[in-house]
Amino acid sequence: MAMTITLNVWRQAGPSAPGRFESYTSDKVHPDMSFLEMLDVVNDDLIRAGKDPIAFDSDCREGICGSCGLVIDGIPHGPDPGATTCQVHMRRFRNGDTITIEPWRAKAFPVIKDLVVDRTAFDRIIAAGGYVSMNVGGAPDGNSVPVPKELADLAMDNAQCIGCGACVAACKNAAAHLFTSAKITHLGVLPQGEPERYRRAAAMVEQMDAEGFGSCSNEGECEAVCPKQISIASIARMNRDFMRAATSK
Amino acid sequence: MRLLQTFSTSIGTKILIAVTGLGLTVFLLTHLAGNLLFLAGPDAFNRYAHTLTSNPLIYVAEAGLLAVFFVHIAKTLSNYLANRAARPVAYTTHRWAKTKNPASRKSWASTTMVVTGSIMALFVVTHLQTFKFGPVYEGADGIRDLYRLQMEIFGQPAYVVFYLMAMALIFSHLWHGIVSATQSLGWYHPQWTPRVIVAGRVLTALIAGGFFMIPIYTFLLSRSAQ
Repeated sequence: MAMTITLNVWRQAGPSAPGRFESYTSDKVHPDMSFLEMLDVVNDDLIRAGKDPIAFDSDCREGICGSCGLVIDGIPHGPDPGATTCQVHMRRFRNGDTITIEPWRAKAFPVIKDLVVDRTAFDRIIAAGGYVSMNVGGAPDGNSVPVPKELADLAMDNAQCIGCGACVAACKNAAAHLFTSAKITHLGVLPQGEPERYRRAAAMVEQMDAEGFGSCSNEGECEAVCPKQISIASIARMNRDFMRAATSK
Repeated sequence: MRLLQTFSTSIGTKILIAVTGLGLTVFLLTHLAGNLLFLAGPDAFNRYAHTLTSNPLIYVAEAGLLAVFFVHIAKTLSNYLANRAARPVAYTTHRWAKTKNPASRKSWASTTMVVTGSIMALFVVTHLQTFKFGPVYEGADGIRDLYRLQMEIFGQPAYVVFYLMAMALIFSHLWHGIVSATQSLGWYHPQWTPRVIVAGRVLTALIAGGFFMIPIYTFLLSRSAQ
């Protein structure tokens, strides 16, 4: 059975253009559609009517690429914990609902168009991390570099970060601490990334600040919206690594 | 990395706020312990206050305390302004993510830290005016009779209500502040952190509860003495 949904969408023609909310109603929404499929349907109608479709980011549409990201009714990635925007389904809403959709809002994530923001600040933080030391040549023998199970799990938990930016979007300070700490942790706790661990932490934190992100108020709203549910334990580890870097130079 | 440079980063700033905040919490504990001597009567209370203020080292301690206050406030203000600048366009609709995932520690206490802190800074000024720089009554043995001053001040219901409101702000500020400081300092442990959160809140309740009790007790004592 089709649902009728009204959208209140942020429309902004370009980075320096003033933005505004526009309202669209569709009666072709199906409960089994994903949130992005619902936007596709709305856009289809807009295109047929000769109007500019709503611009939004998406790629894999299965929660692993980190492209999509919308603030749905005031919460990044919408109402479901541990899910990206593309994993939210319309059955989470009721027939007749009005849904407000906004882009990630942060100085370091300028709006490119409508709901699409520029997240290259994250790429520059990763680039600031530099290299990881490892031997080149033939593949090493299995188990020649022992990694304790706990550390392998910790590294994997943090490597799950898809860089979607929801942590920044949810933080009242638009801080990128959860993202940066996840990247620092997943390299720093493995033998391959250990040699540059502290230098890397200092460089990435410096770049994070230079991009204009805020600071951490330790509220954990980032963890609550993270589609990969990365713990703020990583932020504490980043703070320790950063202090170690600061005191060892 | 130079020290100044380190403490001007987002993490270094929060570390300074955490260290000074915990320092102020320790001060509150010693202040409360001293104040509780009021329960032991005028002699013990006045002698404690005299011993404390007649020691020349008190000036060093006061200067240190003032410096801790200054760093805590100055770094918080610069941090607040930087955080405001990090989100120039506010959300039209904003809901706490805690509503979808209880992993968040967000609370009214955590969202009003700047407000409660600012009011507390103003409170400290009036508090010093009322007591430290208030009327000096000379006691029987020639030392300042602070006991009498406290009886006079908290004999007035308006002062009692004002102090209870101020202590409610301290309760709110510490509710988030103590636990937040441990996270800023990098202390996180999957087993211990949940206990640290509980311990931080128990400590908050003890400090605020102790300070709640003093004006109420003094008020009741002054009424029964009449």
